[in-house]
Amino acid sequence: MKVALMSFAHTHALGYARLLAAMPDVELLTSDPDSATRPAGESGGAALAAELGVDYVATYDELLAWGPDAVVVCSENTRHRTHVEAAAAAGAAVLCEKPLATSVADATAMVAACEAAGVPLMVAFPVRFSPAFADLRDQYQAGTLGRVHAITGTNNGQVPAARAWFTDPTLAGGGAMTDHTVHLVDMVDTLLGGVPAVRVHATANKLLHPDSAVETAGIVTVTYADGTNLTIDCSWSRPASHSIWGGLTLSVVSDAGLIDVDPFAARVSGWSQIEANELSLGYGPNLDETLLATFLDAVRTGSTPQPDGHVGIRTTAIVEAAYRSWHEGRTVEVALAGRPASAVV
Amino acid sequence: MTTVGLLGAGGIAGAHIAGWLQLGVDVVVHSLRGAPELVARHGGRLATSLDDLLASCDVVDVCTPTYTHRAMVEAAAAAGCDVVCEKPLALTVEDTEAMIRACEEAGVTLYPAHVVRFFPEYTALHDAVAGGTLGTVAVQRYDRQGGLPVSPWFHDEKLSGGIVMDLMLHDIDFARWNGGPVASLRAVRSAPDPSGTVAAQVVLTHASGSVSSIGGIWSARPVDFRTRFEVAGTGGVLRHDSATNPATWTNGGAAAGADGYAPKVAALGESPYLTELREFLAALRGGPQPRVSAADGLEAVRLAEAAQRSLALDTVVTLEEAR
Repeated sequence: MKVALMSFAHTHALGYARLLAAMPDVELLTSDPDSATRPAGESGGAALAAELGVDYVATYDELLAWGPDAVVVCSENTRHRTHVEAAAAAGAAVLCEKPLATSVADATAMVAACEAAGVPLMVAFPVRFSPAFADLRDQYQAGTLGRVHAITGTNNGQVPAARAWFTDPTLAGGGAMTDHTVHLVDMVDTLLGGVPAVRVHATANKLLHPDSAVETAGIVTVTYADGTNLTIDCSWSRPASHSIWGGLTLSVVSDAGLIDVDPFAARVSGWSQIEANELSLGYGPNLDETLLATFLDAVRTGSTPQPDGHVGIRTTAIVEAAYRSWHEGRTVEVALAGRPASAVV
Repeated sequence: MTTVGLLGAGGIAGAHIAGWLQLGVDVVVHSLRGAPELVARHGGRLATSLDDLLASCDVVDVCTPTYTHRAMVEAAAAAGCDVVCEKPLALTVEDTEAMIRACEEAGVTLYPAHVVRFFPEYTALHDAVAGGTLGTVAVQRYDRQGGLPVSPWFHDEKLSGGIVMDLMLHDIDFARWNGGPVASLRAVRSAPDPSGTVAAQVVLTHASGSVSSIGGIWSARPVDFRTRFEVAGTGGVLRHDSATNPATWTNGGAAAGADGYAPKVAALGESPYLTELREFLAALRGGPQPRVSAADGLEAVRLAEAAQRSLALDTVVTLEEAR
């Protein structure tokens, strides 16, 4: 299978490239033309491809002319739409890095473009593939947990430093709320089986990084149509000097007990005398690998991989509402294009 | 010798009487129910009536249900006694202001028993924040989860104020202590459930711009009492989880929830209730001001009342409105 990787802008591209290059039945071709516009010192382009040991072409036209079966889009958030639409027009299945888009209008257009082209669109939300989370979802959907009364989550990390665009609102669309709300709302989307979000409240600040052009800390509360409330701490609050980038946790108040899921707790930890630092040996499945395998299996079989573009629209709508709430200082309704929340309750 | 008149004989009265007796004061108890048993268990002596108690003590410790606090504090003030009052001071800002006014007019002191400020892990956190270890605080997270309260009055919102006023007031007060005045807040709560399980979340936006997320759970399913926090600032991050930082852990011990409503304090070295009462007693004897004042108690009630309003209206409430 021919797989094209568009852009090394998102640092997850590096992991995807290594994993795809190691798959025996995958031919990988990459391109990263926008690397020329990145600040000096940021990796990218042909040099990074050479470092990764993957094939490279200079332009997206060449990349898509190669006739890939599948395209993985790892560009800056606000460029996702252009690249997904180009990939769909070339007839390739698309896996797009999260968030799918920075506006509901863009996300909806991307889904429409892929549907028109008859290609599947998947969004890269790997954490839903965590065995710990999958077990929670299976238990809930089997009725073992009874009612879910409330959900809280944390997705904290260091302020992204390897790529300047993460804190550039024109390329990222926003800061911590854009980057760290969507994993948890994707997980709750699948946990609750697609029950729509109806109301959102958010508050945020940039006290941790006062010079930042985007918010670096925030609390987002999502109310779903069944009355469930989800509260997310999406802050980039992990100190930059910390040995671990951050993490994600999900806590559920259920009839069966108060459940905490920490997908990144699967690790052997200790201390290294040589490094004078913590030792942390993660184990269990590589979630990015599971994500890619799910996507490529769907491409092979012609099925629709989950999370699909509609999950991307729903998660984007929540983030869009969060910004509206924060800027207006009030609780706001979630607007889904062509589908008012009240109509789907 | 100082005589403390303890009003009430419920769960919190047991923690307080043990503290007072360790401080070597004379304790006299009055309660509609349970006073003889409390005295038999801990010591102290029984008052024959409320009037008898008020006539014979220097300090009144109000450990009665919340809805009676105002009447008890006003009676104590009228009798010229200094007052320690269990949290929340009252169910409304109006009642709390009346209590503070009554104490001021009587020339007596009123301290709210916000015991979380005296728990050693919370003290360590606050000292670090106050000392600048965390730099500028940006995000605070607090969770407090336990079983359902036993006494029926807790479950009547008109009598207890519900989970926000009764349980989450602790962390609301603590977040304000670290994060400063609150500009606005929003609260959500789980839909009423026949089991009694309730989970609520209060999100504070402080005047500084920092944000706090406060969770409270009363679980019908038996659970161990658990608290956790994480506070992040420009200087770093501090966190604690009572479930993963236990000084003692017994595998196969008592069933969860047997006493899951209140924290276990025996392994802390000194009961935070004792720490709290010692600080109040020293202040009443002319020592330094304690770490919590009646004004703090009033602000905590103001925030909890605003959170109740946010729940009722499903809106963001600004504290200018609440004032």
